[in-house]
Amino acid sequence: MIEPIYITGAGVVSAIGVGKEQTLSALNAGTTGIGTMAYLDSCHRDIPVGEVKLSNDEMVQMLGVDNDPLFTRTALLGRLALREALDQAGLTRDMLADVHLVSSTTVGGMDRREQNHAQEKTCDRLHAVMGTHSCGNSTQMIAAQFGQFASLSTVSTACSSATNAVITGANMLRCGLADIVVVGGSESLSKFHLNGFNALMILDRQQCRPFDRDRAGLNLGEGAAYLVLETARSVKARGVTPLCRLAGYGNACDAFHQTASSPDGEGAYRAMSEALEMAGMKPADIDYINAHGTGTPNNDLSESQAIKRLFGPEIPPVSSTKSFTGHTTSASGTIEAVFCLLALEHHFLPVNLNWQNAMEEGIVPVAEPRQAELRNILSNAFGFGGNDSSMIFTIDHA
Amino acid sequence: MSQPKIYIQAAEQVSIQQPLSQQWMSEPILTDQLLATATVPNYRDFIDPREARRMGGLIKRALVTTLKVLRDTGVEHPDAFITGTSIGSLDYTERFLDALDESEEALSPTYFMQSPHNTVGSALAIHTRSHGYNTTYSHGACSFDWAVMDAWIQMQLGKIRTALVGGYEEMTQDYFELLQKTGYVGQPGMAPCAEMSMSMMLNTQCSDNCLCQLAGVAMGNLAYRERMRQQLAQMLNAAHLTAADVSAVMTGKNGNPDNDACYDGIVDDLLPGVPLLRYKHLFGENYTASAMGVYAAAHCLAQGMVPDCLQEQPRLFKPCAILLVNQMDQQEYSLMLLTKI
Repeated sequence: MIEPIYITGAGVVSAIGVGKEQTLSALNAGTTGIGTMAYLDSCHRDIPVGEVKLSNDEMVQMLGVDNDPLFTRTALLGRLALREALDQAGLTRDMLADVHLVSSTTVGGMDRREQNHAQEKTCDRLHAVMGTHSCGNSTQMIAAQFGQFASLSTVSTACSSATNAVITGANMLRCGLADIVVVGGSESLSKFHLNGFNALMILDRQQCRPFDRDRAGLNLGEGAAYLVLETARSVKARGVTPLCRLAGYGNACDAFHQTASSPDGEGAYRAMSEALEMAGMKPADIDYINAHGTGTPNNDLSESQAIKRLFGPEIPPVSSTKSFTGHTTSASGTIEAVFCLLALEHHFLPVNLNWQNAMEEGIVPVAEPRQAELRNILSNAFGFGGNDSSMIFTIDHA
Repeated sequence: MSQPKIYIQAAEQVSIQQPLSQQWMSEPILTDQLLATATVPNYRDFIDPREARRMGGLIKRALVTTLKVLRDTGVEHPDAFITGTSIGSLDYTERFLDALDESEEALSPTYFMQSPHNTVGSALAIHTRSHGYNTTYSHGACSFDWAVMDAWIQMQLGKIRTALVGGYEEMTQDYFELLQKTGYVGQPGMAPCAEMSMSMMLNTQCSDNCLCQLAGVAMGNLAYRERMRQQLAQMLNAAHLTAADVSAVMTGKNGNPDNDACYDGIVDDLLPGVPLLRYKHLFGENYTASAMGVYAAAHCLAQGMVPDCLQEQPRLFKPCAILLVNQMDQQEYSLMLLTKI
């Protein structure tokens, strides 16, 4: 058991909505956000994507800021989610001197660089700044609207980035370096990674079908989500009401392959085991697993093996909400964490859309929405290179 | 909480200087090139040539410095691999972008697969079959510093005892030209823009071969100067040192007036009048250049001398403690205190 780490604010943007309210109603209604490409400028119109249904201009307007040619889509998505998280936690500009931000992204400013790359040889300074916009610049750009944080940091471990940002932030609290750390990630779709995943032949031409026998790959998505992590001392001093607790987390490396998971899911198994151990829990204490569940043949089999190894015959309800949002890569860890928070608060099991047939050796996910009293949720995020991480959220019912 | 001591057990580099060597201390290589590539070591001593052929330059250099450190320390599987890289596999990223400019059809995934920033850190784990904690920080000029911070935190928490922490960066001609337009590198009188790989082993156990102690690390926002002063005071206090014990401050000055003035301001705030060291004219400027500062300071403390090539005003002295100051975009900073054993 570790000293309690509370979550006192959360913000989310994804293909199923801006903010927790829209997100909750889509999750309950089983309405997917995956559909035809409307904003990404790619020739692959036949590939379904989980786009946030807003143009960059619309996001600028919602944020109430002046447009800046340097704005990236990743930063705008990030700002929308960060604003909601800070608002809910009651953190205002004048309080940020004591608030740290750990954000994550991999795409960063790639959405802008790929637009201008062919003209870079002769571009002006502004476009050079755009072309060299790094992951760290992305965090700075997201933060800039809200004030001066105590520190900024950026984690980039591909698809597990946001979960690893949570882990860094939580460790900062436990070590006594901070009382409040905002953690999360933001990622926009880019032609760069859509084409990269396409070249890897792991994109489904239909809506993705995590854990289904006939699953044929993932759909890419975009979005952002942030959580406000806070120590017990700070929660008490500020008189805020926590949404839930981060009870444990684990990070391990599969150390198998750059883009494939090991057949026995070693990294995933270790990450989940470590999270349970830190939380002081047994597998039977977990009421629901929000799986990484990308929908690729490889991930879902490997993750199934890891879950079966750890949980034995008594596997709790499992679902992959990537069937709603697509794989939001560097943001997925905290986007799905917010889904878990909503499930804890509103007592339901998020459904795994598009599932029809059990896969051989695979787990059977939650295929119909249902109400459930949940206490402990395990959430998985696994990245390229075998950067595997898990976290456990707990609600203390009165 | 009992505070474990943390030691830098070994640190190795590949850069403009002689690779995997401390020869730069006596025979520094100075270049007036605006963009300088790394001097490559003999990879065959460490990596199977068939495997090396499939790796980009960044990963090869990172793997070599890492394997040398693992070999020298005898730590086969460190508890953690923590990587700092701001731009990661830039070369492969740009090759994929070039292909994308041609057409979105019939692309090979090869370059894409090695383009994410965490490819380096996971390649180290895959090669050494290490299942421990593994993460990557890509936070501009503080990428490496956050990697050190992470290791520090987890050692304080008792979560890990050994960590392979590294800073790895590469550069391409195209990206250099962009960065030159932004003013970050390639200005007259500046340190060369360069590639670098630095791996070090942090260990909570002291052994005979340890280079120095990592006595403290802190990160922050330059908007909060008072906190920066407090952080240094706490760091010194925890190490049972006073400001007068700090032998020198190692800054990231690179010959660019805006960058250098920022350091002068910080040093005046923290330790006015203390002798100044710099390293970027030797190892070059790039986002994880701060790793080279830590590397250089660690070896100075281990050898009990600071070569003239690092000193702003050369004199003979035996360093006891070196404070490293690094700043990012004149907005953020890191402080690291290294002390002799």
